Parts: sequence; C-alpha cells; structure tokens
Amino acid sequence: MFKSIFDYRKLIFKGGAIGLIFGSSVTAFSEDIQWAGFIENASYYRDNVGLSKFRNTVQAEFSKSLSSDSWSNVSIHGTLRGTYDGVYDLNDDEFGKDAAEDYLGQNWHSRGAATTIIPGPNTTLLSAGVPFPCDNDPLLCHNLNGYMDEKESDAKFPEFNDQLDFVRELYIRADKYLGNGDVLSLNVGKQQVVWGKTDLFRVLDVINPVDYSRHNIYDELEDIRIPQWMIKAEWRMGASQTFDDSNLSLVWNVDKFRPSNLGTCGQSYRILDAGCFFSSYINLADLGAPYTSNVPIIHDVEEPNWSLGNTQFGMKWEGVYGDATFSVNALHYRQQLPSLHFRPHPVAGLAAAGLPAPDGVFDIVFPRVTLLGGAVDYYSMDMDATWRIELAYSEGEEMPRDTDGHKETDMVRYVIGYDKNLVLPFLQTNSAFLISAQVFGEHILDHEIDMPNDEDNWIATFLFKGFYKNNRLSPQLLMAHDFAAKSSVVSPSISWIPDNHWTFNLALNIKTGGEEEFGWSVAGTETFEPLARFTNGPIGVANNEDELQLTIRYSF
Amino acid sequence: MFKKILYSLLIGAAAIMAAHAAPVNEGIINNSFYPYAKGSPTASGIKVGMVINAENVDSVKDYLDPATYLFVKNGDTEIHVGKTTNFALHDSYVEATRKFSGSTKLGENPGQIEGSKAGRPFPQEPSLDDPRAGEKLAWNFKNGYNWGDSAAIQPFYWKYRDMNSGKVERTVKFNFHFLNYTHRTQQEPFPAITPNPSGLFRGIYVQVLEPFDIKNTQLLIQRFEDDLKRDNAYLYLGFQRRVRRLSTGQVTDAFLGSDIMIEDFEGYNGRISDMSWAYKGTKTLLLPMFNHNELTLDSETHQDDDGYQVVAFGGKGGCFPNVTWQLRKVYVLESDPIDPDHPVSKREHYIDAQTFTIPRNITYDRKGDMWKSWLIGQAHPDHHLPKNKGTGVAIDDAFSMIDIQADHCTTGQFKGIVDPELTPTSKMTVQNLRASGS
Repeated sequence: MFKSIFDYRKLIFKGGAIGLIFGSSVTAFSEDIQWAGFIENASYYRDNVGLSKFRNTVQAEFSKSLSSDSWSNVSIHGTLRGTYDGVYDLNDDEFGKDAAEDYLGQNWHSRGAATTIIPGPNTTLLSAGVPFPCDNDPLLCHNLNGYMDEKESDAKFPEFNDQLDFVRELYIRADKYLGNGDVLSLNVGKQQVVWGKTDLFRVLDVINPVDYSRHNIYDELEDIRIPQWMIKAEWRMGASQTFDDSNLSLVWNVDKFRPSNLGTCGQSYRILDAGCFFSSYINLADLGAPYTSNVPIIHDVEEPNWSLGNTQFGMKWEGVYGDATFSVNALHYRQQLPSLHFRPHPVAGLAAAGLPAPDGVFDIVFPRVTLLGGAVDYYSMDMDATWRIELAYSEGEEMPRDTDGHKETDMVRYVIGYDKNLVLPFLQTNSAFLISAQVFGEHILDHEIDMPNDEDNWIATFLFKGFYKNNRLSPQLLMAHDFAAKSSVVSPSISWIPDNHWTFNLALNIKTGGEEEFGWSVAGTETFEPLARFTNGPIGVANNEDELQLTIRYSF
Repeated sequence: MFKKILYSLLIGAAAIMAAHAAPVNEGIINNSFYPYAKGSPTASGIKVGMVINAENVDSVKDYLDPATYLFVKNGDTEIHVGKTTNFALHDSYVEATRKFSGSTKLGENPGQIEGSKAGRPFPQEPSLDDPRAGEKLAWNFKNGYNWGDSAAIQPFYWKYRDMNSGKVERTVKFNFHFLNYTHRTQQEPFPAITPNPSGLFRGIYVQVLEPFDIKNTQLLIQRFEDDLKRDNAYLYLGFQRRVRRLSTGQVTDAFLGSDIMIEDFEGYNGRISDMSWAYKGTKTLLLPMFNHNELTLDSETHQDDDGYQVVAFGGKGGCFPNVTWQLRKVYVLESDPIDPDHPVSKREHYIDAQTFTIPRNITYDRKGDMWKSWLIGQAHPDHHLPKNKGTGVAIDDAFSMIDIQADHCTTGQFKGIVDPELTPTSKMTVQNLRASGS
C-alpha cells in the first residue's frame, strides 16, 4: 500500500497530459495558492455492535490562478483527502480481518435454509463471508482481483491505494471567449462531473462511480463520488432569442473504468452485504457433492482494461426557458454495480441439474450501458415551490435473477422532487425551513418473475431542515421509505456551528421494517439466499444498523 | 444631400418623440438631481464637525430617524457630522430622465408602469396629496442608478456579531455582482442588453468565498422587467454541487444565517407589487454619507495590492460603522407587505432624494414593534477607489443590520468597484453557478 503512496508516476503522466492540452500558453502563476480544508472525526456507535466508525479525515482544497496568453480564467484546482478509520483497531471483534460472522448475512437476518447447519456434514450450504479475503484466503483474493479485494489496511486508509485516491481532484479550468460572445470552457483532470439534482439516490448523476463503503448511501454524494480523470468541454452560448441560457457539454471519461465500491466483507458499511456474499463459498464438497473442494461464489471479476474503446463519454444540453431549467442527457458508460454471470458445470448433466462450475459460481461483469435522459426544474409561482423531474432510459443494464444469474433489460428510472422554503413562525425562527420530498421510481422493461427487483418500485425521501441562531443551529429530519422492501430509515440530526471553524453534528440513523427473513429465493423454489438481499434493498439490508453518530469538524 | 436627409430624419424623429413624450421641465430636473445647487441644508443645533451623543441628542432629535436616535440616546454609538456633499449621478442617467420621464406614467395597478425606458421615472417632487406618490418613489428607487449599470463588490465581508458581548460569531467573505439588463445609460450597450428573451431587468450574483462550510455557495437572482412576475432565484450549494431553484419563501429568510433577508438587499430588493407604498413626507435628516478616503479605516479585515482598506466598525458590539453623517434631503417612504404571512408588518425607508439610495431603513415585526435597523453607508465615488471616480454611483460602502430585539447584528464591509468587465452577462447565468462551483 505504502508503495502506492509514493507512486507519483501516474500522476505526473496525467498532469503532463493536461499541460499538453493547454500547450505552452499557460505561462506563469499569477497569484498565491488559495487553501481551505478541514480536519474531522466521525464516531458512530451501532446498537448491539459498538463502535462502527472512528473515521479521521484531513481534507485540503487548493486553487491557483494561472496566466495565459490565449486562454482566460485559467486556474488549477485540487482536493487532497486522507482518512484513517480506527474502528478496525478499536472494535476488531466486529470489524476487520478477524471479524468473522457465524453465517452469511448474520448482521441483517437470522439463519435460514441456506445458512443453517445441516446435521451430518455439519456445515451450511453457504459459508459465511470471509472478511478481507486478501488477508485471509488467497483463492478468494485471486478471484476477486481488482474489485472488492481491499485489505484491512486499505479500509483503514482508503485513499492510499494504487489509484492514488488521496488526490480526490486535480484539474485545470480554462475559458476561451469566442468572437460571437460564446465561451468555450475546458475542465481537464481528475474531477467529479455532476449531472442530476437528487439527494441520496441517483438517476442522471451517474458519471462518477460511488464509494458506498464510506457510509452507505448517507454521506453527501460530494464526499463519496469516486473522481475520475476526465475531459469536460462546455460551449456556453448564453442567451438567445428563445432561451435565457444555453449550454452544450461534452464529457469524456478517459480513466480506467472503476465500479462503485460496495464495501468489502469485514468493513462496517457494505451496502446490500454484497461484499460478504462475494467472499463466500457454496460448500458443495463438504456436503458430499461431486466436487473436490468447496466452490467460491465469485470466479473472476471481468474489469475492463484501459483502452480507448473502453473509455466512457456523454453529452448534455441544458438551458433555461422561462421558469424552467432543463437538460437533455446522453451517456455511454459502464454499469457501476456488478452483474453476476452464472457459470454452469462443464459436465452437461450436472449443468442441467443447475450445478455451478467447480472453480466458481459467478463471474462479475460490468456491461456497457447507453443512457438517454433529461431533467426539468420548474418554479411554480402559484405554489411558490419548485418541482424537479429527472428521467433516464437505459439500454444494456443487467439485472440479477435466480435461474440464469442475470438478464439484460432496458430500464426506466425517474424522480419527481418538490422543494419549498417556508418560514414557520410557530417554530420560533425567522429562517425558512427547507422542505424537500422526492419519489424515485424504477421500471424494469423486460422483467422476469425470478428477478429480485419488482417490475416497478418506488423509494420516497423527505427532508425537513430548519435553522436557528443565525443558521448556526440546524435541526434536520431525513426519512426514506422503500415501498417494495417495506423498509424505512429515519435520521434526525442537529448541527451546531459555534464559529467559523468548528462544526458539531449529532445524528441518529434508525432503520425499520424490511423483510428480515426470506424465502431463500425470489422464485421461492431454490436455496440461493443471496439474491434476496437485493429484494431487501440498501435500507432493509441495513436493518440492524441503528446508529448514534457524532461528527466533529475543524475547518481552516 | 446626405446631410439634408439626415436633418430630415432627425426632425422626423424629434416630431415622433414630441408626439409621445411631454418634455420635462428643466426646473424639475435640477430640483431632483441637484437639490443642493443653491446651498446645503441647515438644521438648528447641527454643525459640521460636531459629535452627537447621548448628552446632546435630544436637541437634534428631529434630524435623526427613530432607530438612530434610540441608539445614540442609549449610548450605543455617536454621530460624527460631516459636510453635505454633492452626490451627482452620472450625466447619462440625468439625460435619460430628460428623455423618457415625460412619457412615463403608472399603470392601473401597483407594479405596472408605462414608458420607463431609462433614467428616473418620476423626477417630480412627491406630493402628500398624490395617493400613488409612494409608489412613484418606489419606482424611482427600483429604476434608480443605485450601482449604475453594473458593479461588483469584491470582496465583501459580513460579520455576525453578538451585540452584547461584541463577539464576532461568523465572518463570511463574498463577492457580489449587479447587472442591469435594461434601463442602462452609461455602460454599453444601452438602454438594454440583447438578446433578453425573458425580459430580465436585473441580475444579482453572489458567491461565498469563506468560510469552508458554505464556500462556493452561490445565489443568482433574476428580476424581470415585468414587476408582476416573481423573481427567478437559484442557489448553488457547494457541498452538493448542484443548483436548486429557490422559492420566494427564502427571500424573507435570514440569508445564510445573517440578520438580513434577501428582500433587504440595497434597502429593498423585491417587487413593487409585493408592497403597499405610502409617501410620508420630506425631511432634512442626517444620513451616513461620506468620503471613504477621509475615514479612519479598518486595517485588519482586508489587505490588497490596491492598498484599499474597508470601513471600520465600533460602538456597541462593533455594530456601528465609523463613518460621518451629513444632512440630506430625505423622502420618508413606508412599505407594507401585501402578503399577510410576511414576517414584516412594515418598513420605513429613508430615501436620499438626490441619489435615491436608501441609507436608512427601519423594519417593524408583525406585532408592529421596531425589529431591525438597516444602515447602508454611501461613499462618494470621487473619494473612493480611483476606478470609481466620475462614475456618479453612490458607493454602498458599509452596512449594519441590527436586530434590536435579539441584540444581534450583521455588519458589512465593502470594496465596491464600478467596472463593467467584472460583471459580464455570462456571470448572470445558471451555467455560471455550476462552472464556478466545480
């Protein structure tokens, strides 16, 4: 790991590429570097588990203007972040490389058919997930090579890896004023490119993958998007006879593809418990089946190598028309969540019986996806409120299913949001409360009965945030409900900002509902427990993760 | 031959103008824009150089607004009296008033106006007998020269202060930009920027530079030429990297936790049609108007290569700017919100008759009690940054919003610059919020 900390070669190479794009026209630094940042401790306590996070973060952001003969507003921006999560040292009974579970899914459901010990062979159909397999199981580590193969040390220091994630962002901005008054703007470097306008869940905001291992879905996307090396070009046309503002944006993600991080088995946050599923075995040898050794769930991760053909790109046209702001989006990218491809036994007869290959049940792949979508914000004068609508139609995604492992299907996702700022005098403050409600919908066009996801599902979120004491005291209530999973989360919090430097935030995060016990498959006839976790969704699978959370930040 | 044609065209154009616009009496123009041409106002007991404090304030009570009188009477601050100076607006604005005000009239309903292309819409002296005189004064402010056609305040320091302890709780560093799309007189193009498909009247763009927790928060307000149409307002939150539309509920919110509503900006930052307006008379009052370069300034808050320093603050809790006040001709204007749920019952605006800026405002809560005192100190442009010299813009140079009931204040220290290059139209776009925030 520490080798990677000092491996600046990639960074220097990529930085050189930025310089080539702007050529020699960037001639000199024109003013001092502006620095800002924070030091933060996030200590979370999980019911019946104890400490679940003791995350210490240092983040520094800098910007510096550069002078150029041929470009305007040239500047370089960077964000550096380093994290140490001490939970793996302070609560190593529960988290870390030695924190084995009794059975797969212990943290969110009781034993079931696939995880109950079968007398005789005295084993379970499915083994418990191996925590941090690259610390404990060379075979699993080899199979998971390149994805979900972090060591405990990587979880403790998540930014210090081969991808140099401690450099969260590093990009150059520059504008070129065109003769007709339009502006050509370039952002080149490691960055986040944000499409979409939603909280917690994403419809159009899918250019950067997301690190759910940091705090499931609950941290700001700003903090959990995984920045990528990209070139963003904007042609800002400004006002025309029809539109008050018009802008065409091209994004080319030239980075090596990275999927979203779901959290490795042994980490305190592993969305859908996928990490432990990926590091488990079907105990077919122990059960006396015709196998010489137990079968790892994952055989291989087909993470695409870097090539020009594997880069991702998109285009957005956005503008303002009257009271509406709008965008039309197109993106050709890769699915950031893993798709599981079942590997049948090479012997036809055994394959016909549904048995998997002896060296692994699934391959993980990340298929190509084409997304078309759009968004509209509309301010309603009559309601004095803003409506947000996002819609995305995708082609090429793969959804899991019981019998075949996966199926490619077109998808429609949408969100309808409602935002209103309202002064509520009876709450004893002159500051307006922010009331924000969202409903996310998902429709699977080629739905099959053995898919864990319903053909249609909705997740609703509600945010109520108020401000007291000159905005230095801010209570907030965040709620979400997954209709299919019948699971909910309620997260009240209060933040206190005593001065320009200190911020204290105290929160509860309580999950309720969800199907805590499953028929062991969606179809109801098989015994492959894992797919049921998708039925229960990110809220339901975390049903035992009620937490008290305290975050203290010093900004500079 | 060409000269002849040109003359013919000019005569024709003048005839057309004459058919539509009654010429404005030059006496009206002079009275409106040069009220001190025949001498400065005088007031019994007030002399240049004197200091008004708790001991002598009762003798000059008539020349102070009620809130300022209370502060001085309580010993919270003192008033240093300076000489009345000529804050002449730019000739182009005066000329536009000559050109257009003769054909300007109020529409049938509040918020409607006809013929106001540029310049002061109603330069005539207001009359207490005119039931719509208040509305006319409000229009004179809205279509006033305020920051000229465009200007920037960069940087702009807001300090949130506990008035009792004097503790500065927060310091927020901003950049503010103002741009008029229409009613332009001095910066090209005028009288309007085109294209302008939605009929925008004015844009205000705000960017937070510090502190870290709200850094890159940006606000864009787009006001329409049609006063009956509500503003479009957009907020960019740096920690979310996305633009949110604002409902107007937030216009009366405590902006970023300060004691100031968005609606308070510049004295009043809203639609004419949102208020009932009443003219309450003309007075001679002391207003905080001064020459910046002659003040003892704050050497700690801001340093830059221009050697510019911002106005210093003192008095109780550090809530009062250390500036001089001068006797001015003042129109007293009252605004009452139409919306019964508005947090304010009324505001008293003390408008400087020459500049139509509003250096003093008093806000009353829903019960009718005095709630806030809003001071916007005006600096003469010829005694400020060299770049501002000759612009004719009364420079907003220091503010103090005191929440009298909460013993809390927000103070503002400006570096106001009248320079069109600092505020291009591209600054006033939603896309600029995204681009500047990332």
